[in-house]
Amino acid sequence: MIPLGDILLYASLAVSVIALAGLLLKDLKNIELLNKFVTPAIILVAGILTFSYLLLTYYFVNGNFEYDYVWQYSSSDLPLVYKLSGTWAGQPGTYLLWVWVVYLSAAWLAWTTKHSTALARRTQIITLLTGIYLIILTLIQTPFKLIIERPEVVEMIAKGTLQPDFVPEVGNGLNALLVNFWMIVHPPFMFIGYATMTIPFAAAIVYLLTKEDGWEELGRQWTRFTWLLLGMGIAVGGVWAYLVLGWGGFWAWDPVETASFIPWLTLTGFMHAAALHRKNKTTFSTAAPILAIVSFILVLYAAIVVRSGLFNSVHAFGETSTGTLLIIFIVIVSLVSLVLGMRRYFEEPDKIIEDSGFWNKTNIFYVTLLLFVILAFISLWGISFPAFIQLTQGLKVGVASDTKNFFNVWSYPFTIVLLLALGFCLNYNEREKEEQKKILFIVIGLTIVTMFLRTETFYVLDHSSPFWAREPPFYKLIGNISVISIFPSLIYATWSTIQRLITYLRIESIKPKIKGIGIAIVHFGVVFILLGAILSSNFTQTIDRINIPLATKGELVPVGHGYGIKIIDFSTRNLAETKNVPAGAVSISEIYGSPENYVSNNVKISGKVTDVANVQSPPPVVYTTYMKINDGTYTDGLWAATQSDEPLNIQEGLELTMEGFLMTGFKSNSTGSPCTAVTPCDLIVFSSPEQITGGATAAGKYNVQSVRLEVYQDNRKIGSGVAEYLQSDGGSGTFPLVDSSITGTDVYVIFQGLGGGTVPLTLKIIPAVNFAWIGVVLFALGIILIMAVKTKSKDG
Amino acid sequence: MRTKKLVSIIVLVLILLFAYFSYNTALSNFTLSDKNASYLGGIKFHRAASGLEESFQIAQQENKPIMMYFWAIWCQYCAGFQTNTLGNPQVKKILEEDYILVAMDLDIDREVARQYAVSYPPYLVFMDPKGNILQRVPGAVDADYLLPIVTKIRDDVRR
Repeated sequence: MIPLGDILLYASLAVSVIALAGLLLKDLKNIELLNKFVTPAIILVAGILTFSYLLLTYYFVNGNFEYDYVWQYSSSDLPLVYKLSGTWAGQPGTYLLWVWVVYLSAAWLAWTTKHSTALARRTQIITLLTGIYLIILTLIQTPFKLIIERPEVVEMIAKGTLQPDFVPEVGNGLNALLVNFWMIVHPPFMFIGYATMTIPFAAAIVYLLTKEDGWEELGRQWTRFTWLLLGMGIAVGGVWAYLVLGWGGFWAWDPVETASFIPWLTLTGFMHAAALHRKNKTTFSTAAPILAIVSFILVLYAAIVVRSGLFNSVHAFGETSTGTLLIIFIVIVSLVSLVLGMRRYFEEPDKIIEDSGFWNKTNIFYVTLLLFVILAFISLWGISFPAFIQLTQGLKVGVASDTKNFFNVWSYPFTIVLLLALGFCLNYNEREKEEQKKILFIVIGLTIVTMFLRTETFYVLDHSSPFWAREPPFYKLIGNISVISIFPSLIYATWSTIQRLITYLRIESIKPKIKGIGIAIVHFGVVFILLGAILSSNFTQTIDRINIPLATKGELVPVGHGYGIKIIDFSTRNLAETKNVPAGAVSISEIYGSPENYVSNNVKISGKVTDVANVQSPPPVVYTTYMKINDGTYTDGLWAATQSDEPLNIQEGLELTMEGFLMTGFKSNSTGSPCTAVTPCDLIVFSSPEQITGGATAAGKYNVQSVRLEVYQDNRKIGSGVAEYLQSDGGSGTFPLVDSSITGTDVYVIFQGLGGGTVPLTLKIIPAVNFAWIGVVLFALGIILIMAVKTKSKDG
Repeated sequence: MRTKKLVSIIVLVLILLFAYFSYNTALSNFTLSDKNASYLGGIKFHRAASGLEESFQIAQQENKPIMMYFWAIWCQYCAGFQTNTLGNPQVKKILEEDYILVAMDLDIDREVARQYAVSYPPYLVFMDPKGNILQRVPGAVDADYLLPIVTKIRDDVRR
């Protein structure tokens, strides 16, 4: 039987085809036959897809594990909000989200334009073609696949080990790293952004095809919305990377982080091209539509990077079978747009009226566009060619000895030029051009001079890093540039933006005023983000491998460089807040937390055996069995031991509950014992074989250890809060303490899970990173102001 | 018009130069693994593809312990661990001379990782020539921590 979800997808496919046929008949043959069904049909598809997404959400909330996708990404002990976000945790769900938003956009387009113009109709045709392709993709990777269709399950049913109507009782659960607030919002931002990109792309294709004017107006608000959502998605991904340790800081150039950044760059380029194209239709009449199309192609490419196994990335959670279909789609779109773009380029009449000489606005804007393209290409090339080499030659290569170095080295000079262009363009005035050129040249001079300023650590590449020595000479050449050289252009850009803001504040007319303020705010955002990114990555101070014994709870322990840490409290909890230890048993983390309460007393512990060592004593022969017990509340587990006349048959993986007495600092002289004179066991439980029983209640899937602490600098408290460590079957995650101060410096403490009675910590003092987040907020605020004005002018 | 064309051509040439240069640099300086070996932290490891069995055979013939290193290309800590810890001259000398080294790429050798219960990189598993696990070292430890371990395991196996 076909699942209801799939039936809905097939239905949406059928209705889309009818709508497309209606539009094509009208457009090609002027047959009105299906025309009046088109708008209702598209709205119907949007409705069906809304329903199927809600259905999937219902399955997640309800725990319908007969669906493979639900089983893979959900678990009954997850809090509700993570059950909801589980719907977009994997590839099939994100495709459904993508196609759903594409059709919501198509429905909006249908509703607002009623397909009254040829442009609107043709844009809808391209949108529907894209939508249909994506529905097929979703059907191939359907989130409604039943678990009994899994190859291994099919095999087991055939063997008779499983019933044909097998439904698992518990879900596989979400990866521990995704159990985080920012991960709830990041994927929808990205995929809604990807989806809304379809309309400007479709309009641009139509324009190249038929030269229909008004394409830019049609797609303008969509572009801004896409830019906002993609930008916020990237930023939220950055916040997440910052808050969940794993790949070092808030931007590590992981292929997937980078892949979504590339279309955002070209989209930014498009918005700049469109700004001039809007005023004079002949300006950038090829560049603007091509940039819109390229952005869409890069979005498709990003989807491949995110979900294919080829790009080795922390994001590559599952391998895809639809990657090939996406590649075919990219090839088709690229070829079509290349042919159309070439045609338009050679058709273009050469009678464009421009200011003479190099220093005119169009030329400077063109340089800006190229800079966006260059920056996009650096990122694109950096993530792509290692994958290409792997595919063709079976070699794995790094782009540099440290990935960051490649992108930082190549992007840095172009970022400076971009800032210079920003400074020059934003304040461009034909009459004062000579004066402005002088200022620009002074800034360029200052930039070059400051590149040679010698400082301790302030270089494009970190000289003290062990990677520095292995970089090739050219990388070192750029890496040797002093980062102080960013400041002249940064100050110039700021100054220019302020000038612009002042000009706009003087304007009487309200709409251009608001729009101008919006533009200025967005450009302030650029300055803030760059300032935050550069200062924080160059001036972060890190103290690694701090181990504070839990026994020193309440005492200030110096950790070096004048810093000290005081542990206030330690606790554990289960994310689902259900008891995970049997009655009477004590959690192992609790024992490590306050051993004084249990020492020399009987304790009951319960958990899985993770390690076994059998030791034979010299005659008279006695066998000691050491078992490491882990109940999931504590990284390392706890050693337990028992003695008998013959070796006990205890295997790793066994679930045990045992009672015994707790001893500290135990060491044995026998060889093979895990507790030797060199590495004594801090804590160990001794019990007799009779006190050991098999079977413990299953530990919860998501256990969280929390340590509350205070950080001091020269005996002055500079930060406090909770650092957490989450452990689950599917891996572990750390959620650091982040305490910001008004000066913009973050106190950042990573806790890696209790081990051997000590709290392992890493302390980072990160300056100015908040500027980057402020910049992101400014981006959003500015673009919303710009969008607000457009809406008004349309109504009026 | 002419200015724009000229600028475009210059940019295109620059882009091609950059692509060519970075491609070759990566191939000549930063190859991490090929079909037979992995080159991590300046040390040559056997790749899993060349056969784990073969490594065990060599280990038995030469009576050397085996160190299996689990890594991944996307692992930020691995890069530092390779350069700082494995690349430490003392550690490197012992590993190269007295060990059979095998590197497992977590993106490729997933089955081996599952078999040895390794779920994250970097991760070291030490074994005697027969394949009995002697010690596990999870995470990016520093050279001060690793040096006594590699020394002791070598001496234990030789004895």
